Amino acid sequence: MPDTVPADLLGFIVERIEVGIFAVDRDYRVVLWNRFMATRSQRSAAEVVGRNLFESFPELPRKWLERKIDSVFVLKNYAFTSWEQRPFLFRFHHNRPITGGVDAMRQNCTFLPQKNGNGEVELVCVTVADFTDTAMFQGRLNESIAQLEIEKHGQQVLIEKLENAQNQLMQSEKLAAIGQLAAGVAHEINNPIGFVTSNFGTLKTYAGHLLAIIDAYEGGTASSLEQARHDADLDFLREDLPILIKESQEGLGRVTKIVQDLKDYSRVNDAGRQLADLNAGMESTLNVVWNELKYKAEVVRDLSDIPPVDCIPAQINQVFTNLLINAAQAIPERGKISIRSWLDGDMVCVEVEDTGLGMAEEVRRRIFEPFFTTKPVGKGTGLGLSISYDIVVKKHGGRLEVTSELGKGSCFRICLPREFKGATDPDVRSGL
Amino acid sequence: MTTQEDTDLTEDQRDALQEIANIGMGQAGSSIAKIWGEFVSLSVPRIAHVERCAIPAMLTRLVGDGTVNAVRQAFHGQLRGEVVVAFSGGRGDQLAELMGYDDADSVEEQELLLDVANILVGACLGSVAETLTVDIGFSAPSVMGLDIAPSKLIRPDELMTGRALFLEVRFALEKKSFTSHLIILMPCDEVFVLGSALDKFLTSL
Repeated sequence: MPDTVPADLLGFIVERIEVGIFAVDRDYRVVLWNRFMATRSQRSAAEVVGRNLFESFPELPRKWLERKIDSVFVLKNYAFTSWEQRPFLFRFHHNRPITGGVDAMRQNCTFLPQKNGNGEVELVCVTVADFTDTAMFQGRLNESIAQLEIEKHGQQVLIEKLENAQNQLMQSEKLAAIGQLAAGVAHEINNPIGFVTSNFGTLKTYAGHLLAIIDAYEGGTASSLEQARHDADLDFLREDLPILIKESQEGLGRVTKIVQDLKDYSRVNDAGRQLADLNAGMESTLNVVWNELKYKAEVVRDLSDIPPVDCIPAQINQVFTNLLINAAQAIPERGKISIRSWLDGDMVCVEVEDTGLGMAEEVRRRIFEPFFTTKPVGKGTGLGLSISYDIVVKKHGGRLEVTSELGKGSCFRICLPREFKGATDPDVRSGL
Repeated sequence: MTTQEDTDLTEDQRDALQEIANIGMGQAGSSIAKIWGEFVSLSVPRIAHVERCAIPAMLTRLVGDGTVNAVRQAFHGQLRGEVVVAFSGGRGDQLAELMGYDDADSVEEQELLLDVANILVGACLGSVAETLTVDIGFSAPSVMGLDIAPSKLIRPDELMTGRALFLEVRFALEKKSFTSHLIILMPCDEVFVLGSALDKFLTSL
């Protein structure tokens, strides 16, 4: 094809194209030096052509460049340099004398073998293309990416801090709830302990009387025996003793039960996911919070046969506690708390309904927000329902729904999938 | 290796390519020895047609399951394709000396990989093209990945072709601890052009 192109046109293109072109022979003598090379290097063709390249430009990396050119001669093949690895071959001014940005022109160079008729390489022709703009653009891009990485890291740190803060809040909410419960549980334990202690006092007196009767039998007279029986009021003692023992046994049974319930409630030893009976969880929770409920409400149970649920029982019990205590606190004088459970498809549902004050729509919409509370300062952290929501929806993939009517009461419904399949859409929050 | 497809080379064409590649690699070896002054050992080229989803597994099988530094380079003209050069084992500084680097830092080491890959690719493909009297040119090589598993070099879902011709040669410098794998990949529609060139070569014998 070059045969059909006028030689003066070819010459014009080589001379005036905005790409550096030069050629060297086997001894690195320059045989072509176009205008781009001349203007950028400020060495005219007359100065450079015919001389050894490295004599004219001693700053070139001679050993490396000689090998590179040699390899083109020997292998009869292209060779390249790229600005990314080698910013430039020749230190030229870049095309930004005003706006600047880099120290020297970035260059991509291609080394081309020019073969003669025998297929031998006679000259190596080198093109020097100006890649300064690309390099600067790439540089800015890299800076932006680095900046983004820094910001991403910063956000990661922030997210971790937030997670820590949330964990601490959840912990403090749990501690607050435990503190509140502890008072109630202490009362529940103190009561039976009190009457069992009192019964033991009476039993001690009774035992003294009985021993006196036995002593009278063994060595005394008929009259002293009669006196002992009279002192002991044996007829009454015979009647009262079994009652005292039975009462005391019941009292100790109540203590044992409440300690067991506390254990079941907290499940300190196995905090992990397991199959659990929600009815049983609700029963032990009811016993633990009983002191909070008993003066406020009659508790009505309507618990169906439900299959076990794949859940973290300690967390679900925490939710039950929140709902039961909220229900009791919503009842101003005395009311009713209804607890229902049933199976709905593959979901197990538990509902806590109260006949308390109920909520206005604007309150109901906000109850799952962290720190939102309608209770007086010191009564609630405003985290109970937010944490309950987190446990039911995010940790168990279930639903936590509420219906409420001002002045009539509220009903909270937990629905948990029997088999855990991962958390569901957090927007369930806004439903109902 | 998978089932025969219409676009695949025939058995005759494959035998011819195998022979031409053998000769080409021999010539490449002697050219490289000339410029580096080192004796180069080359494996017998392996040729296969591969479905694109099988390419990562093929790379692991050929190159090994360690990590490699890899360079890609395209060739164009009467034949089109890409070459992957995977460098495994051995240290760059041994090559740096051969290529005329004083001492290579990490950026220069990348340039060194590009230079070495360019020489290997040019020598091997140049010889094959010369034997087949087809005219091909090369684009500048670029770094594909540093210190990555061979199977990660090419993601099948990003490939432009469903099936590819695979030609693999292993290079080693006898006195230096240096090994590289050169893998020539040609898309299936280009294989047809290669087939014609091979036929032309066979009839000219």
